Amino acid sequence: MAKSSSSSTAKDAQALIQSLRSAYSATPTNLKIIDLYVMFAIFTGLIQVVYMALVGSFPFNSFLSGVLSCIGTAVLAVCLRIQVNKENKEFKDLPPERAFADFVLCNLVLHLVIMNFLG
Amino acid sequence: MEKTLLFRASILLFLLPFLCSSFSSENPTDRRILVLLDDLAIRSSHSIFFNSLKSRGFDLDFKLAEDPKLSLKRYGQYLYDGLILFSPSIKRFGGSLDLASVLEFVDSGHDLIIGADSSASDLIRDIATECGVDFDEDAAAVVIDHTSYAASEAEGDHTLIASDDFIQSDVILGEKKIAAPVLFRGIGHSLNAANSLVLKVLSASPSAYSANLKTKLSSPPSLTGSAISLVSVVQARNNARVLLSGSLDLFSNRLFRSAVQKAGTSIKYEKSGNEQFVTELSKWIFHERGHLKAVNVKHHKAGETAEPAMYRINDDLEYSVDIYEWSGTSWKPYVADDVQVQFYMMSPYVLKTLSNDQKGHYYTSFRVPDVYGVFQFKVEYQRLGYTSLSLSKQIPVRPFRHNEYERFITAAYPYYGASFSSMAGFFVFTIIYLYNK
Repeated sequence: MAKSSSSSTAKDAQALIQSLRSAYSATPTNLKIIDLYVMFAIFTGLIQVVYMALVGSFPFNSFLSGVLSCIGTAVLAVCLRIQVNKENKEFKDLPPERAFADFVLCNLVLHLVIMNFLG
Repeated sequence: MEKTLLFRASILLFLLPFLCSSFSSENPTDRRILVLLDDLAIRSSHSIFFNSLKSRGFDLDFKLAEDPKLSLKRYGQYLYDGLILFSPSIKRFGGSLDLASVLEFVDSGHDLIIGADSSASDLIRDIATECGVDFDEDAAAVVIDHTSYAASEAEGDHTLIASDDFIQSDVILGEKKIAAPVLFRGIGHSLNAANSLVLKVLSASPSAYSANLKTKLSSPPSLTGSAISLVSVVQARNNARVLLSGSLDLFSNRLFRSAVQKAGTSIKYEKSGNEQFVTELSKWIFHERGHLKAVNVKHHKAGETAEPAMYRINDDLEYSVDIYEWSGTSWKPYVADDVQVQFYMMSPYVLKTLSNDQKGHYYTSFRVPDVYGVFQFKVEYQRLGYTSLSLSKQIPVRPFRHNEYERFITAAYPYYGASFSSMAGFFVFTIIYLYNK
């Protein structure tokens, strides 16, 4: 009984992942690129947090700017993704070129601040 | 004519510093002392005490306490540096002197000796109360001790007490031990518990009590045992010193000269301890001993000599101060191993004991704490019998300047890397995103 239930759970999970995969493969390529970019930013941020936990918070401003640059990057990329997604009716009046220009401008400001704060 | 006038004026100018050789911070020993007496006979009956003061260079001015021309001040300046009140029974001083002016005299840093006895008036008791000492409220009470009275002069009533219960302080009573007991005949007092500045110098033995000789003792006496102080001193916060004695006879020639044998002991001393006790105590009272001064407070960074206007956190610094003790004639180096300096901002961040070179030079070095703000160097030195030293010097401490850090910190390389990689990531992402259609 237990064995059959656990095997059915594994089957369910497999089915879930399968359906997620098939659904995700239908996502447009430009959104997939953005997702990859967000994953990269989050991963870099996590590495820094682990490093800080090991080494200590001494140049705390550097730590903050390093982590905040990753978080800022991820947040801006997610915003871009929301705006260029065709399925979002909220932004259907906003041309994707305009959204991308906003994204570039915000990134420039973000990295200017990060460079000043880095030390 | 004009020339001689000029000559006289120049002589006067030349003499001026010598004419004004009174109490000053450079020369703390008193010079001019007003002695108020009930009766001019005291002048001869207590002449040994007065002569010892005169031989030490004091200028005594004897006046009757009811003299109508009495005054401590003229044109806002004190005429005297010290006051001796040997007038226990005075009800009102003559002239402009009263309770308030005596207290004001002490409050302005001058010294006072009060000798009371069983005839002490309310005025004298009030002055004593203001100094933190309460004489027995029963006006007729005297100190009686049936175990440590002076055996040789016992007239059946045991009121001449031979006490050797002194305060343990070399600076107050002198370095030489007082061997013979001190003879005392008079009223006892208790110290005000709320006053931390008043000290018992000579206390009664545990078997003493304060009672009226003439009446039967119906209730327990209010003052008993070693709670009774016979002689007390006060050193006020402004370093004014006050001596309160319940016995005027303590200072008299008769007790100075009399032989003493304490009841119950076989040792007979040729001379009582009174003369030594009173002389040493008066030296302390009139600032011939135990008066400290601190000069030359210096601080600088380690390896430098100039005093900076500001320190940086984690600077190493050196602090030094010279402390001298007045010996009655000159300033001698003060040697002690318990002088401490505080580096203080709301609370002491650093508390260090100063080393000294046995010549009065105290020094130490320490590191400024890793905290910035406005600090003070503080020396608060309060020791029994010595005048208190209270030095403070303000100094700001600043954090590292922006350019005082290393330009690149090794520990921060991952953060630099992350920031630049997210910039590079942004650049790469832009290209891929734009060209993938």
